[in-house]
Amino acid sequence: MDFEFITPGQPLMMSSGTFWLVMIVFLPVLALTGGRRRLMTVWVTAVSVLMAIKGSGALAMLMLLTAAMDWMTAHAMSKTDDPVRKRVMLWTSIACSAGLLAYFKYANFALATWHDIVGGNFSPLDLVLPVGISFYTFRTISYVVDVYKGKMRPVDSLLDYVFYLTFFPCMVAGPIVRARDFMPQLEQWRPAVERDVWDGVWQFLVGLVKKAVVADYIAQYTAIVYGNTTGYSGVELLVAVVGYAVQIYMDFSGYSDMAIGLGRVMGFDLGVNFDLPYRSRNVTEFWRRWHISLSFWLRDYIYISLGGNRKGKARQHLNLLATMLVGGLWHGANWNFVLWGAGHGVALCIHKLLMPRLKAIEDTRWVTVASVVATCVVVAVLWVPFATADMATAGDVLGGVFSRWDWAYIPVMASVRPLLLTVIVLAIASHYMPVRWLEAAKQWFVATRWWWRLAVIVAVVQLVLQFAGEDVQPFLYASF
Amino acid sequence: MPLMRLTGVLLAALLIFGVLSIFWHDGVPLWGDASLKTCGLGRLFAIDSPSDTTAIVPVAAVDSAAATPAVPVVARPAEPDTTAKTILFVGDSMLDGLQPRMAAYAEHNGHKLYGVRWYSSTTQVWGSSQRLAGFIKQYKPDYVIVCLGANELFVKDIKEKRQRYLDEMVRQIGSLPFVWIGPPNWKPDTGINEMIESTLPRGTFYLSKNDKFVRGKDGAHPTRESAAQWCDRVCRWIVAESAHPIRLDVPKKKYANSTKTDILQPNEK
Repeated sequence: MDFEFITPGQPLMMSSGTFWLVMIVFLPVLALTGGRRRLMTVWVTAVSVLMAIKGSGALAMLMLLTAAMDWMTAHAMSKTDDPVRKRVMLWTSIACSAGLLAYFKYANFALATWHDIVGGNFSPLDLVLPVGISFYTFRTISYVVDVYKGKMRPVDSLLDYVFYLTFFPCMVAGPIVRARDFMPQLEQWRPAVERDVWDGVWQFLVGLVKKAVVADYIAQYTAIVYGNTTGYSGVELLVAVVGYAVQIYMDFSGYSDMAIGLGRVMGFDLGVNFDLPYRSRNVTEFWRRWHISLSFWLRDYIYISLGGNRKGKARQHLNLLATMLVGGLWHGANWNFVLWGAGHGVALCIHKLLMPRLKAIEDTRWVTVASVVATCVVVAVLWVPFATADMATAGDVLGGVFSRWDWAYIPVMASVRPLLLTVIVLAIASHYMPVRWLEAAKQWFVATRWWWRLAVIVAVVQLVLQFAGEDVQPFLYASF
Repeated sequence: MPLMRLTGVLLAALLIFGVLSIFWHDGVPLWGDASLKTCGLGRLFAIDSPSDTTAIVPVAAVDSAAATPAVPVVARPAEPDTTAKTILFVGDSMLDGLQPRMAAYAEHNGHKLYGVRWYSSTTQVWGSSQRLAGFIKQYKPDYVIVCLGANELFVKDIKEKRQRYLDEMVRQIGSLPFVWIGPPNWKPDTGINEMIESTLPRGTFYLSKNDKFVRGKDGAHPTRESAAQWCDRVCRWIVAESAHPIRLDVPKKKYANSTKTDILQPNEK
């Protein structure tokens, strides 16, 4: 027997079967805490820390160390009136948190870049990235900054702060919930009522379908195509470009949905993290709908800290570019992420420049459709460097869509990979269908009898199983 | 208590999948080829069904079998079998490059070569049909060569998904001497080579993934010239190292026609 849980080195993903088993133990014990907040805090923190250890081994201690350090820093800052001391404490805390992130995530990237510049052999450091470090670093920085700015008072209990920073639903992929939103909920915590529990389960199931069915299935195709782009026709490359835009949304938002749903089951509101971003009419709106907790974090702690739009147009554009470069680098230590961030920064600047002219255009239905399509094209094109291993491959993909275009591939593609195309089309259709349909389905699920809920859960898990066994055909042959 | 009710529903769901996986380990049949996949407890606890390799009887010494008990071993004859053979060469599109050169070997050495190219095919495609057994019955080969796996380089959980089809293919080949040419990787695979190698008797699998290839414009298939060189390496290996050496002297002609070639399209059943 192979129990995934006791094998360190891999985070316990919420879409895995083992997670299901863990929940069958975790939830009844949570229920047995009977609304006693302290007991609940201890139990959830224990499970969260265990999951962190499962994912990162001894490196999970870094998260606890960060929690303890920033908890003490926040208290020390609140007790002093000396602005210089406060500032020193703030920057020391940020430097420590960001330094750890920089070391584990960017040291090899920086060394490789340095060796590329000066030449010589580069042997990477043997570094293991602690699970969730990008997320908890941003969470802890926002806490210390908010305390510094007086936007929240320090958290009284260290256990509460450890609870917040290690909270397992948000550990692997966010959302980046801020302490000032989370801590009041923890302080006034009550067990979730029946309605919230099933509301949360519904959101979890929606996320599971997005992640484990749609995203993981499309990922097979995009991984194959982006792994060896030279062999594919323009039609196949275009499907990969569109497919990746769908995949990454379904993956990120699906995992967020699972985290938010589980949070609700446990009695916490983690907010909204993705608000149908491909309905955006411009790139600025896209960033208000995409990974909201991250983009608002970048806005509040980078963009506004740099001066935002308060120091003239030129400086505003520079701030936008810098913010998006940080956002790009946050996603990964590679130049393709930098390029992706820079691309979005430039797109935001262009939108800001064009805003007066765009506002003059009458807002009709067709203008909206054209704006949404144009935004989707820009975003999908920018996903290409995000997805590919290097910039040459990204160029080959985007160039190949046109230079290797052959209409004859369309019927062959449809006959060899019908399931893939169906999944992509349905995923896109689901994004644009009226929100009230999904809301009505949720209301039915929340209000229905238990056996219907059971049937829905079984159907969703079966769907995951069915798709887990489906493989995407790597090549088109037929008459070619 | 809502959380207790949720736990009850989750347990009930777990029970349903557990029962399904116990009674229908290979899936719940629906209609035609359609079935509901099951895994339930089996997958959660990674209970693998043993591979059926009973078609190949291990005849090697006890010591070597004990050292690597998972891999059956067939004894290698002291001398190659120099009699004329009827060879059945089956596989995917890699046969486009390999078969013309193999046909030259066959012609030069007095063998008959029947080729079956099933485009886009995989172990799953072959192992879920009786085509291989059908071609064996039709052409009555006394030697089988398989080249398959290129379409499965990136299949995740490959053993879980494809082992039984590979076993079925081996079962259909039965007691015939055979060799399997592994796929010419253009990227690291997710385990297809390891799965085939660990399933087949030693000396029957030619690992191609470490060979050097010049690729065609699709970046995956070797060029005709590179495929011919690949075939030369395979033939040298069959004669010198494989468990079933036959006569394969290097032909003067570069390419030749096979006795007969069957072409199957990707969606054929």
